[in-house]
Amino acid sequence: MTELADMQQSVARDPRDRGGPRQPLLSVRGLVKHFPVGKNLFGRSRNVVRAVDDVDFELLKGETLGIVGESGCGKSTTARLLMNLIEPDAGEIIFDGEVVGHDISLRDYRRQVQMVFQDSYASLNPRLTIEDSIAFAPRVHGVSRREAVGRAHDLLARVGLEPHRFAGRYPHELSGGQRQRVNIARALALEPRLVILDEAVSALDKSVEAQVLNLLLDLKDAFGLTYIFISHDLNVVRFISDRVMVMYLGKVAEIGDAESVFAQPQHPYSAALLASMPAMDPDARTEQAPLYGDPPNPIDPPPGCRFHTRCRFADPVCSQTVPSLTPAGETQQVACLMRQYGSGHSCIGLEGRA
Amino acid sequence: MAVGALDNKNVIAPIQVSDGYWKGVLRRLMRDPVTMGALIVILLLVLMAIFAPYLAPADPFKSSMLRRLRPIGTPGFPLGADELGRDMLSRLIFGARLSLFMGVTPVLMAFVIGSGLGIFAGYVGGALNTAIMRTIDVFYAFPSVLLAVALSGALGAGIFNALVSLTIVFIPPITRVAESVTTQVRNRDYVEAARASGASGLTIVRVHVLGNVLSPIFVYATSLVSVSMILASGLSFLGLGVRPPEPEWGLMLNTLRTAIYVNPLVAALPGVMIFITSISFNMFSDGLRSAMDVRA
Repeated sequence: MTELADMQQSVARDPRDRGGPRQPLLSVRGLVKHFPVGKNLFGRSRNVVRAVDDVDFELLKGETLGIVGESGCGKSTTARLLMNLIEPDAGEIIFDGEVVGHDISLRDYRRQVQMVFQDSYASLNPRLTIEDSIAFAPRVHGVSRREAVGRAHDLLARVGLEPHRFAGRYPHELSGGQRQRVNIARALALEPRLVILDEAVSALDKSVEAQVLNLLLDLKDAFGLTYIFISHDLNVVRFISDRVMVMYLGKVAEIGDAESVFAQPQHPYSAALLASMPAMDPDARTEQAPLYGDPPNPIDPPPGCRFHTRCRFADPVCSQTVPSLTPAGETQQVACLMRQYGSGHSCIGLEGRA
Repeated sequence: MAVGALDNKNVIAPIQVSDGYWKGVLRRLMRDPVTMGALIVILLLVLMAIFAPYLAPADPFKSSMLRRLRPIGTPGFPLGADELGRDMLSRLIFGARLSLFMGVTPVLMAFVIGSGLGIFAGYVGGALNTAIMRTIDVFYAFPSVLLAVALSGALGAGIFNALVSLTIVFIPPITRVAESVTTQVRNRDYVEAARASGASGLTIVRVHVLGNVLSPIFVYATSLVSVSMILASGLSFLGLGVRPPEPEWGLMLNTLRTAIYVNPLVAALPGVMIFITSISFNMFSDGLRSAMDVRA
């Protein structure tokens, strides 16, 4: 925790910082994205996929926030919404105290927030050399070609690729790990303050993955970065994250310090998700399936708490009332009626047994 | 001394300069004998067209009633004479000029217009894409030969009108190819990353889309050259394109068709030229397609 406090102090020394170390770098309020599916003759769609539905969270300066959840829970959509690669239907994003699109222009915001994608090959233009790919963003923002290429070479050296060997190569001449290093260098080329890593190490071999993770930690210290780290690999998230956010069907189920979420998950879904991690200790092996069935269709999510169809503790009240995030456990906030006093759930007061 | 030179850092970590993309394409093309053969035939045809006045042994317009339909091998007429006694070899050499022109020009113009339209539709997407592509689809309702004939007939005979109608015939298929490749590229992560860096749509198209889209469209367009030549010949055959006495292979095929029972070998010669040219373009475009595949 003191480490994080140190990090917050050092991040706040950035000349671009506005609100000081305690102001969240990013506040997300009521973010909503519904994708229409199947259009009728008049272009109106009857159904929507509620990919991200009313998501709120705050991202502290200098921290790494891990986002976990099963496929289709809205992790990547959240990332794309944060990058404004897709337009949100509702909600606002506040970057260091400034509402994006109002107080700070989209262009200025994008200079400070960059993203690394999962597919290292698809995220590099096959017709551009590595140095041109990295230099593209600075060139767009008016940096001269000579300076942009110089910056690209510096960044290549920073991510562990010798510039004089790699700068002139094409993406297909690199290995997956090398390409992902190039993608990281490309994301850093605009000197961002926030980097969103969307499954950035998921496609790599375990040994390469470890190297890239260590590189990410080094770069974070060196450049005073804040990370949003999206992954389905819980071990990796636990290793790299200061705080963790668990998502289920487009909603936040639980958010809190990584250690306390992993040690004492407060939401029944987080508990089930973490129980699905294979244990290293043979005595602690998972004996019972933590969860049955598939997540419900996000086109028509269940009313009330979205998890009640698979929850062991579901009560009649769970299918009527939508839970809101309430403090629970040591550091967490949980969207569960069992933690919400006065909700009428029969298990209130019996927490800790989840 | 020599050992000392080896200690140089450059030797330990040699500077690795990657070949450019086009260098790689050229290298792969050179290794493909069939494609190189087709390319050489095309180049020879082009040279033949350019230097026709120097290559042709006789005046292609000079007719003689006495020498009508001489067979192949007649002294002074190596490929015989046509129905008006004009030297076949000279007419075939001069015919390359108009025939190649009629084959390449419409495709080139349709390539420019069609890729512009298709890339625009593919990159912008949404309702505009639907509007453009459905309009293009209307042209697909007509067979291309029929469309070319109908347009030429409506515009009136003449080389220029034939060019215009052939261009219109080739715009829809090129637009469609351009649109589908652009739609694929547009959804790639590198385009997303470029958008995330705040680049404008025009910059993204210029830097990230064009380079990845133009070569497949170009390969497709080369395969249309042979179609264009055959369609142009067809138009000339119907009297809608080139007019006599201009030498053009399609037109020559038309005027010689009455002689097919008298001297079939001579009558078939323009068809042989059309065949050689179109198959060369087809084989070249096939080879180009595989040479442009980076991972080959």
